[in-house]
Amino acid sequence: MKVGLEVHQQLATGKLFCRCPSELSDRSDGSFVRRLRPSQGEDRAVDPAAAFEASLGRSYRYETGPVDCLVEMDEEPPRPLSDGALDVALTLALLLDARPVDEVEVMRKIVVDGSNTSGFQRTALVAVGGTLEVGGRRHEILSICLEEDAARKVRESPTEVVYRLDRLGIPLVEVATGPDIGSGPEAREVAEEIGALMRATGKARRGIGATREDLNVSVEGGHRIEIKGVQELRKITEYVDGEDARQKALLTVRDRLRLRGAKVRPGPYPDLAPLLDGTTTGPLAPTTRRGGPVLALVLPGFAGLLGPVPGTDERLGRELADQARAVGLRGLIHSDELPGYGVNAPEVERLRARLELGEQDAFVLVADASAERSERALRQIEARARAAIEGIPGETRDPLPDGRTRYSRPLPGRHRMYPETDTPPIPISAERIDRLRRALPERPSARLARLVAERGLSREQARQLVYGGFADTFETLAVRGHGPTLVARLLVQDVPSLPPRGDAGPFEPTVDQLDAILAAANAGRIGKEGIPRVLDALARGASDVDAAIASTGLEGLSSEALMALADRVVRDHLPMVRARGPESFSPLMGDLMREVRGRRDGREVAEALRRAIANALERSSPGSAGGHG
Amino acid sequence: MDSSNASASLTAMRNLPAGRRIELTDSTGHVWTGSIVPSHALSGPRIVSLKLESGYNVGVAVDEATTFREIDDPPSPRRPEPRSPSARAMAVDDAWIALLTTGGTIASRVDYETGGVRPVQDAREILAFYPELESSGSVRVVPVFDRLSENVGPADWLVLAQRVVEAFDGGTRGVVIAHGTDTLGFTAAGLSFLLADLPGPVVLVGAQRSPDRPSSDGPSNLEAAAAVARDRRLGEVVVVMHAGLSDDRFAVHRGTWVRKMHASRRDAFESRNGPPLGTVEGGTVHLLPIVRGPGPGPARVEGPIDERAGLLWFYPGLTPERARGFSEGLRGIVVAGTGLGHVRSDLIDWIRSRTQAGVVVAMTTQCLEGGTDPFVYATGRALVDAGVLYLDDLLPETAYAKLVWALGRATAPADVRALLAQDRAGEFLRRHRPEAEV
Repeated sequence: MKVGLEVHQQLATGKLFCRCPSELSDRSDGSFVRRLRPSQGEDRAVDPAAAFEASLGRSYRYETGPVDCLVEMDEEPPRPLSDGALDVALTLALLLDARPVDEVEVMRKIVVDGSNTSGFQRTALVAVGGTLEVGGRRHEILSICLEEDAARKVRESPTEVVYRLDRLGIPLVEVATGPDIGSGPEAREVAEEIGALMRATGKARRGIGATREDLNVSVEGGHRIEIKGVQELRKITEYVDGEDARQKALLTVRDRLRLRGAKVRPGPYPDLAPLLDGTTTGPLAPTTRRGGPVLALVLPGFAGLLGPVPGTDERLGRELADQARAVGLRGLIHSDELPGYGVNAPEVERLRARLELGEQDAFVLVADASAERSERALRQIEARARAAIEGIPGETRDPLPDGRTRYSRPLPGRHRMYPETDTPPIPISAERIDRLRRALPERPSARLARLVAERGLSREQARQLVYGGFADTFETLAVRGHGPTLVARLLVQDVPSLPPRGDAGPFEPTVDQLDAILAAANAGRIGKEGIPRVLDALARGASDVDAAIASTGLEGLSSEALMALADRVVRDHLPMVRARGPESFSPLMGDLMREVRGRRDGREVAEALRRAIANALERSSPGSAGGHG
Repeated sequence: MDSSNASASLTAMRNLPAGRRIELTDSTGHVWTGSIVPSHALSGPRIVSLKLESGYNVGVAVDEATTFREIDDPPSPRRPEPRSPSARAMAVDDAWIALLTTGGTIASRVDYETGGVRPVQDAREILAFYPELESSGSVRVVPVFDRLSENVGPADWLVLAQRVVEAFDGGTRGVVIAHGTDTLGFTAAGLSFLLADLPGPVVLVGAQRSPDRPSSDGPSNLEAAAAVARDRRLGEVVVVMHAGLSDDRFAVHRGTWVRKMHASRRDAFESRNGPPLGTVEGGTVHLLPIVRGPGPGPARVEGPIDERAGLLWFYPGLTPERARGFSEGLRGIVVAGTGLGHVRSDLIDWIRSRTQAGVVVAMTTQCLEGGTDPFVYATGRALVDAGVLYLDDLLPETAYAKLVWALGRATAPADVRALLAQDRAGEFLRRHRPEAEV
């Protein structure tokens, strides 16, 4: 197996071809509808992925809002490419020892799934031929590109896809490695290292989807597969290993199909609805009740090979069903799962007789509200079944949350790239390279080592700060005199665990807000345990840190009041305190912390509890009974 | 090697035919493999442009240390021919419409060599671009000229008018004219005056996005224009373009009321002062009762024209000296004045000298909405006294087109003025509602 990576990082420099901010919005103030059609490229050929999307005949609705303009609506020519974003890409090129081009030429990459209003994505190659060393292994860097992010899909139906324009045009810097990664864990390490380099530039956006990986996986005897848009680094291993397993399993199916001399019977597809009029339950029922067609594809030699491949979780039937889903159907039924789904054994026999099937022959049924869509689905399924006899078809696949992947569309061909004639070429001057070279950010490994040495952090803490992109903020706050460990916890734990705010992405407090919170904690106004609640109040819209503290009621638990709370908790559990003595501390600490609600620091709370327990034990000890009463 | 060697290898590379594959070794030792593509017109002087195997184009600087060698072409894929129009489209049924092409974005494709757009070569190519045109009847394509619309002028209006008349004489149901959008409003107005007794619609249409883009508005605009051209209720010159940002609603504008009001939006064309005559939605044409119905025919061209007409946009620094140079050789001038139709007072004597010399001077408003009125301010009254003809609510461009036509039709200034003042194509609206209604 060989894996190549494309790591994409959104940049917070403002959009690439207009002067809108690089931000998402949870508001929309209107929408418009467009249709796209595949156009011919420079050489008059139509890209297969584009032709596939166009064949679906869907229209696209775009929601507009406060962070987009006429450029995103494809109503105005692009503005000049963002200088700030280009600087980031060039900086990465220098960090990766790559060769920047002398003149950047912006290209149009045809994408007609509607995710770009123009029907193409603007993209430019900025540098080629770098290297990156990870864990003692050198990896080839093929290219560093700068491109527009696509519009964000909000929802879809078989006839319309709804996108929001906020994400469209946010710059993505893309670093592509050579196909020289040998395993899932190694792919993850390389992705982490590239991500850390991107964050080192200080211009990386944060939040869900701000970093996305495409995985190019090639399996021996199989085919290259592109898994697009992986958002969670820790899932990379699963996706890569899963793809390896999927291809190997499907190759064993291929071998058995060949042994049997399996074939695919081409359309026209017979309508079997008349034989299924007794089907009143299951997925076919709505169609048979309506009198709609139930179309069948016959797969001679496929019987028993559509279900699970022994010893794996893979099945050819799922690959066929994915094709149906890609054109908008809910799925299909194949003969390996019959009788079932509301089709009984006598009906299966009638179907087999009507289709004139032998023992080893299988069939697939589809039934959609639209007969035309059913037909289109079967054509896709037919092509996929034929490919199963050949081997593994090249595909673009979507990563799923459960670690699996699913077919999304054919691999794009080479006919999809042509010049963006609306933007002139951008010369990269030696002066610009010199300026960027003098201002290169510290490399992640060096910074990690320095944070450990200078700030006394553990390697793991330092790693989280550097690889998470928090190192700049950390150092600013540390310089302002805040304790490194507390700052590190605030940045890598408290801030990232704030609840997400819908479309707008996670709340990101400013450095000054963090400074004020830490100052309040240091001054004893709030306990360290209260910090998450102050952050939460800020995320919910508190005007500043003082207001946030006031709204949480964290402030104002005096030492006397804390002592009184501790005494009460001890009194409430007096029998246990008497029985277990100082060891009653642990069970009671949780109770007391709940009462304190973050208003005092945990150490102070613990101290108060120990005193309260000691007092209680002293009062109840026989030696002092007479003294206090 | 010295710099003359650098320029020698640059010249050698640039002289290679486009598409030739080379391996270029630059001064850093990096090897670039790709095919030669013509450099962008705005590329640096030492740049050679390569299309890399990945499909990306990049510019590489050539210096004295650069070397290159030609390498073998990989087997190149066969270039598919553009889809051909169906046989049915080449035949003619009784609902056939004529499509006159003039160039412009709607009939252009990107020229990847120059980076600009170029007109399509022939009629078959335009039908290949727009197969949907054939969906509701046949189309006969008549290439008239190949020009971006900034190069289309009054003499071309006359040529187009003649082609329109020929098409109607040939029995067409209606005529669609594919035209660049920059001066589409001028041509629409010019044809409105030049054509008489139209037995069917003449529909001008354009595109704001070139047809090589998947998002081009050309196909849907053309489809809507064809629907309007087949409508039997209409006998005037109209413009059909997007009514909004969506691809599902189109506006029908009277040729004399319409103006390009945005540099790039799909819905750039708007009717001023009045509502659009109608809309096209879901293939259905909705028209207001104010449309001009078809005449009995035959269609006629009422020429000739006289191009000795000028359009003068008044601005605060426009002195009589500057105006004088402008008026040289002109028989008529349309002034786009401020507000209700004003210019600075020291121009009035210059205007009087012109009208006394037999030049027709007509007034419009650069406000573009509302009409002129000479009686509200003293300046207006003085201008009338100086011989200025106030053209009510005509757009400056429409007034200019009308002047070109009127100067061709009449010799005496008084006759020209009479033609200008008379409603000919429904161009005067004279009733202004607070909001346009559709």
